[in-house]
Formats: sequence, structure tokens, C-alpha cells
Amino acid sequence: MRTMKSWLFVLMAAFSQSSMAELIDVKIHYIGPVTGGVWFGVQQGLTEANIQGEFLGQKYSLEVVSVEELAKAESVTAVLLATDVTQILSVANQAALSNVAVFNLISDKDELRSACLANLLNITPSQKMKQDALAQWLVKHPDSTAHIQGWHKSFKKFAASQLNSRFTKAHRSIMNDDAWAGWAAVKMLSDTVARNQSSDAGVMLNYLKNDIAFDGQKGAGATFRDTGQLRQLVLIIDEDKIVAEAPLRGVKGGLDSLGLASCK
Amino acid sequence: MKLTHILATTLLVMSANTWAEPTYRLFVTNEKSNSVSVIDSRTGELETTLEIGDRPRGIGLSPDHKTLYVALSEENAIGMVDVATLKFLGKLDAGEDPETFAVHPNGNLYLSNEDDAKATVVNPTTGEIIAEIRVGLEPEGVAASPTGDIVLVTSESTNMVHVIQVPEHKVIANVLVAARPRGLAFNKSGSLAYVSSEIGNELAIIDMSTYQIIKQVVVDIPKSKPMAIALSPDDKTLYMTTGRAAKVVIMDAETLAIKSTADVGKRVWGAVLSRDGSTLYTANGVSNTVSVVDTATSKSTMEIEVGKGPWGLALDD
Repeated sequence: MRTMKSWLFVLMAAFSQSSMAELIDVKIHYIGPVTGGVWFGVQQGLTEANIQGEFLGQKYSLEVVSVEELAKAESVTAVLLATDVTQILSVANQAALSNVAVFNLISDKDELRSACLANLLNITPSQKMKQDALAQWLVKHPDSTAHIQGWHKSFKKFAASQLNSRFTKAHRSIMNDDAWAGWAAVKMLSDTVARNQSSDAGVMLNYLKNDIAFDGQKGAGATFRDTGQLRQLVLIIDEDKIVAEAPLRGVKGGLDSLGLASCK
Repeated sequence: MKLTHILATTLLVMSANTWAEPTYRLFVTNEKSNSVSVIDSRTGELETTLEIGDRPRGIGLSPDHKTLYVALSEENAIGMVDVATLKFLGKLDAGEDPETFAVHPNGNLYLSNEDDAKATVVNPTTGEIIAEIRVGLEPEGVAASPTGDIVLVTSESTNMVHVIQVPEHKVIANVLVAARPRGLAFNKSGSLAYVSSEIGNELAIIDMSTYQIIKQVVVDIPKSKPMAIALSPDDKTLYMTTGRAAKVVIMDAETLAIKSTADVGKRVWGAVLSRDGSTLYTANGVSNTVSVVDTATSKSTMEIEVGKGPWGLALDD
């Protein structure tokens, strides 16, 4: 009985391999907490990446590691970091990872952008982006007590509501900025692998930096600046309501009016 | 002589049986006012407004044009209306959050269930759900090939066109396209399929013998977010709505070069072309209007006020 079962398994495995000519296995390394917003976001992204992968022949898995374990890892395709500036810089500066996409998911520290590291991709909006957005708002509303958020439960445009509802269904919590960042990074990676039919780290980093037009479900196809910052709109929130989107209409420079626009 | 006469009579009787007399009614779903506007397409006048259920979006006619189907997203149902009498005929169970659908030449409805990552096949005569097909996230556009052997479904959040074999209901190919694929259309023979990508701002042609993209262009119109696609009766011209760009783009269907544009209302989504190809009607979601475009001049000749958030259209001509 057992033999038959294992035979069947082998047969099925062989069949699925041959029907999907180039099944690509992608392992993503992750350093960060294994609970809370960013973790749920990464898990949501992984679920969605594997749904796409089922149709297109890719399989994604996550390996949770420490900085030390990462340094010893044999092959690294992409790294997700939900940690502090010191750790992020130490990982991004590892010689072995110079051609590997290293994602900063949740730190808004400006120094991670002005460092202009070729392999560091910052998902969440920087401090300066949020300051600039608020400044744009205060020009017209000087007495406002508003604050800036990247993501909000009542954001409905660009199919954000569908993503919010998927996320809430699966994780019983609302999708905050950290959760969006975790989700977006994994989706970007799966989009990159599917479009290039390759999980070569260098090919992926190059595509992410130069060619991606990512559908983050919050506006036009998102791209990266040469600072490694993901271009995106941010939301101006007052008393838990979205009052505007920044960049504000008519502001020169569009999305690049927020934060450090370029390394040059 | 006599034989010809008999033949002609037989043909007439046959066509009377299979085709209802056209009413020239244009039906428009108003997503935000939970209604369907009924317009006389010959005069542009609003005839009446139907209230058949909540959040109407996708809309289409049975192959014999006798029945109008409306996806009622909030009610997980398809509403049915008699095209000639405008009598409400009832609702069909349609799975969770049906957004839009295609009517297969055999009469069955192929629906995309946006929140459920699947397509549902419903027989509208019996109300039976024949099949559920697993597809990618946020399925949106659906189209049945003219020969009926293939149905296409786009998944907006996983960027694919799924090729589904009928009647097996098996996904036989998945074509990766630009971000957020929405609209689909086939040419007359079914040898080519066209797909629009809202966020990628692209239009692609898929060769239906190889399931490969054979042509792909970025739509060079400011603020363009491609949506619905319609092909002229001779397959030579393609019309595409562009959302916030408030234009219909008119392209050469072979080269995908832009020939002209027509200004229409704000956030233009749905579109339907008259059978003779002379007139294109668009649903303008923010203007709350329908634009009537003369395809010979690429000019909007009329803007008709409808309900709130017009989404899709069906024309009985």
C-alpha cells in the first residue's frame, strides 16, 4: 500500500514537472518579525505569488533567517528586511549580495535612500516623502492637524478595496503600511520572475530597478528611483479620514516632488 | 421560381424563430444608482429606468436577443429582463461578487467572480451552475470565442489571460500580459484575441493558435487607462475606452497604430458598437452619461444623461 502511494506520488510529481516545462523554485530570505503587519503582508504576497505560480510554473517559499545565517547562505535570490538601519546597511553592503535585490520593507529612514546603494530597494515612503507631502497640504490648510499614511482601510481606488478585503479575510486585521510593504515586495518579485522566466538574482535586480511597472493597487505602475525608493502616492489623513492624495494636484514634479528625487 | 420562393419563406420563418425583432434599445448599467437605463438608440431618448437589483455592472444579451442579463454584484446574482416587454424575469445564482460575464454562443453565461478567484458557468435556462473554474486573482474580463470552443478570462491582480477549453472547462494556457488586464475581444474567426491592460497602459494581440502575444503596444495618450475593446464588423478597426483620459482610441486592428481619438465623458469604461459598425456607445462613469460616437467622423454626436456610475452597455439592434 505504502509503496503504491509513493509510486503514485512520484508519477504525479513527474507529470507536473513535464507539463510545466520550466518549473522555477524561488526561495526568498527574510529577516524580521514573524508576527504583526509586515509578516502578514509577506504571507499574503506569498499566497498570491503562488496562485500566479500555479498557472505559470513557479513556486515561492520563504526562509526566515538571522543576519549571520544569511551571510552563510549558499545561494540567495532576494532578501526581505524588516529590521533597523544598521542591519539593513550591513546586509546591503555584503560583497556577496552586491548583485542581489535587498528590500527594505518598513524603515522610513532617509539615510537608506541617500546612501544610493545599487542593490537596496526601499518600499515604504521615506520620512522626507511624508514631510514633503504634509508641507504640500499645509500650504493650503495651515491649521490642519493631518498626518501622512501610505495605506488606509478606506482607500478604494485602483482596486485597493479588493486587496484590503482579501487581506482582512485572511489575517483578520486591516492592511497597514507595513503590511502593504511586505505584500508589495513579494508581488514585485513574483512579477519579475514570471516576466523573465528566470530567478537569476542579477536579472531580477536589473529588471526591478529599470523595467518594472508594478501594480501596487494604489495608482499608476510603480517604478524605483535611482535612490532605490519606490515611487508612490501617499495619503493625507485627518481624523482617520482620507482628505487628499499627495503629490497634490498641480504640484510640479509629480511623484518626484516627494522626498529625495535622485542621487545625481 | 417556386422553389426559390419556398426557400425564401422558409428562411424568413426560421429567422423569425431564432431572432427577435430588434427593439433598438440600448441598456446601461448604473453601478452607483442600482438601476438600468433604457434608451431608444434611434433617438437617444431615455425610455425608462429599471430597478432590478444592487450594484449592476456586467451586462449582455442572450444569443437570440430576447433576454437581457445584468450582473448584480452586491446580490451575487444575475438579473434577467425580457428585452421586448422589459418585464423582470427573475434572478440566477451567480457565485460570489459576479463582476462581468460573456454569453457563450450556446447561451450559457461565463462569469468572473472578482473576490473569489474563479469563473462560474451558469445555464440561464435551468439556473444550474455547470462549472466553477479556478483562475488568478481578481478575475475581470470574459470573452467567448465566436466558435464557442474557447473562453478567455483575465485576472487583474495576477496579470494573466486564462485560456479555457469548452466544454471541458479546463485551463489549457495562461498568457502573461501587462499589469491589470481588463477588456477582451475576439476577431470574427476567433483566430486573434485582443486584451487591454489598465495599469500597464497596453494593448496586446494574442494568436489563438499558439497562445502567444504577437503584438503589444503602449497607448500613447495622456492619463490613458485602457478598458473596453470593440472591433469593427470588418475586423479592421479597433475601438478602446481609456478611463480617465476621457477618450475612445481608434486604432488599426492589425498594426495597432492610433488612427484618431474621440472625446467622450469622464472615466469612460464600457463600450458597445452597433451591428453595422456606424455608432459606438460609451458609458462615462464620472460624467453619468452615455456618449454616442459617429465612427465615420470619430466625433461624439450626443451625450445622454443616465444614472450614477454608468458601467456597461448592451444594444439590441
